[in-house]
Amino acid sequence: MSQIIWDGLFVGSFYALIALGYSMVYGIIKLLNFAHGDLYMLGAFIGFAVLASFGGLATSLGLFALIIVMMLSMVITGTVGVVIERLAYRPLRGAPRLAVLITAVGASFTLEYGIAAIAGPNPRGFPIRLTGDVFLVLGARVTLPQIVLMIIAGLLMIALDTYIRRTSTGRAMRAISLDMKGALLMGVNVNAVISRTFFIGSALAGAAGVMAGAYYGKIDFLMGFIIGLKAFTAAVIGGIGNIRGAMLGGLVLGLIEAFGSELVGGQWRDAFAFAVLILFLTLRPTGILGERVTERV
Amino acid sequence: MKTPRRTTALLGIAAAVLLATTACSGGLLGGDSEPDGEAEAGPIKIGMVIPISGSSAPTGAYMENGAQLAVNEINDAGGILDGRMLELLVEDEACDAQQGVASANKLVSSEVVVSVGGYCSGATLPQLPIFGGANVPMIIPAANSQDLVREGLDNVFLINGTGLQQSTAALDFITKSGYTMVALVDDNTSYSTDITTETESQITEDGTAEVVLNTSVNAGESDYSAVVRDITGSGAEIVYWTGYYQEGGLIVDQLRQAGYTGDIMVADGSADATLAEIAGDAAEGVFATMTPTPDTLEGAEEWIANYEAEFDAAPGPYSTQSYDAVRLAAEAIETAGSTDGDEIIAALEGISGFDMFSGPLEFTDEHTLSNGGFVILKMEGGKFILEDSLS
Repeated sequence: MSQIIWDGLFVGSFYALIALGYSMVYGIIKLLNFAHGDLYMLGAFIGFAVLASFGGLATSLGLFALIIVMMLSMVITGTVGVVIERLAYRPLRGAPRLAVLITAVGASFTLEYGIAAIAGPNPRGFPIRLTGDVFLVLGARVTLPQIVLMIIAGLLMIALDTYIRRTSTGRAMRAISLDMKGALLMGVNVNAVISRTFFIGSALAGAAGVMAGAYYGKIDFLMGFIIGLKAFTAAVIGGIGNIRGAMLGGLVLGLIEAFGSELVGGQWRDAFAFAVLILFLTLRPTGILGERVTERV
Repeated sequence: MKTPRRTTALLGIAAAVLLATTACSGGLLGGDSEPDGEAEAGPIKIGMVIPISGSSAPTGAYMENGAQLAVNEINDAGGILDGRMLELLVEDEACDAQQGVASANKLVSSEVVVSVGGYCSGATLPQLPIFGGANVPMIIPAANSQDLVREGLDNVFLINGTGLQQSTAALDFITKSGYTMVALVDDNTSYSTDITTETESQITEDGTAEVVLNTSVNAGESDYSAVVRDITGSGAEIVYWTGYYQEGGLIVDQLRQAGYTGDIMVADGSADATLAEIAGDAAEGVFATMTPTPDTLEGAEEWIANYEAEFDAAPGPYSTQSYDAVRLAAEAIETAGSTDGDEIIAALEGISGFDMFSGPLEFTDEHTLSNGGFVILKMEGGKFILEDSLS
């Protein structure tokens, strides 16, 4: 039982980290950024490339090297996120929502098959592997890498939450999500704030990618697809557009999956997760933390 | 309003005409354009559909090299049928059914005489009617699902041990080593479920061991904690994973991280050094049911040296089977004295004692090997070495 909960929470913290970027982008420009999962994949591949180019030096430094590589990878994926927004989404900002959605799918395929063309289609083993002690907590096996990764994820999430609540950029983000035109009239530099939102969201996905590579040990160019959809599901469960909702949604989805696969078998995991998505969309489309917003005329 | 509509109509007609003419040229003109004399004297085309892209691409490269090595040797020795050269045409299957069908069609339209490809059973199965319809004999070097045999087609020959033979080898090892509780895990593909189904029914029939868990996972995920919990909770002494190595590596690693201390065995789809690359140290001591690879075969040193000289790389899984498939095809064409499909099939059925890496070849009535040649390998220092030849 406690093992199921722990497994669920661990996977859930990955979902939460990726769901944050999804949710932020949706909150601010009402766009479902389907390329977001592929930024997670991109982060893993950048981490792989950096570690491979440093060779034995980086692997001998272990966790320390991993954190440096993760930061580097965050900067690069963040920048790629900004570039995607600038090239693919901004020109379509006045266009119907469907057009932007399809562009996002296109951006997703471009990233996937771009990486497949550059790095090859084969799965790669990640150069750094996190290994460590095992603790027994209430009967559940908890490993040191799991704890470290969850702490990193937690710190990143707390930093983001503080950033949005305490800084002027954060205030501007919240203002734009409420009323973009109004914010513009009040002198907020809307484009700059949206760029920053993409940077932060993409950087978090990149961090999750490096963490997944180091923990699971395998990366491939399609690894972002399913987890992107899972992050979307997590964002919907928590209340899309709501930052704390995304974190909660990630953890809840992880737990739902863990209990679901215990109940009906591991091969039903994805079917179960997406059935929950459909259930939420029909019964409570605003998610756990979302509020019912009446359309203003 | 008028002009665009007329343009569309015209375009439509033009497209229809184009389609009609290309369809004709493929069907009627294609056959006539080549004078008979040239077809008799030109190279004999051998087709090969293997994974060049996708997750199984490394194995595809080994297979292509193995086949090419045989083609080169035969051509250097003067070719077959009085000096005609062999030409290997390779197409991608990407372990995907649709891609496999498209590639098979392409090969059939390039008039291959024999097919020596087939790695992923799921991608190979839909190719059978295509090659069958064109009367092209298939010598399948790697794919070995019982589904391929069940089709019962005359033109299909399997020179890798079948799923049934593989599960017999697994059972032999399980009973020999005295395991009593076995967990079976597959990845829901045709190849993989075939082995678990056969293994489960054989273990149940045999009665010395018991299947405590038979479950499946979704390929392409990272987190397999659910199946890991099932296995550790089942009390299994040995886990038999029958899917491919990319998931296999993750499952092996996650099993060890979860504290599983029993043994792990994988089927031939996972018997690759990449398993150790993904699973790290956790892969040490993993067993595999596998047909002999060059580095586990005795007396293959000269062949390995030739291969390394030719391709500047070590031979991998299924390079020997692909090499044998081409040699077998050449032998059958030579015996038949013709490139006609029916005559080659008759020649293949009549072959007896042809020397291959897996031993002297005899086909059963089902066109499978009379002896699967499966052995047990064990991972040591990141490489699979021979553990038990089961003979």
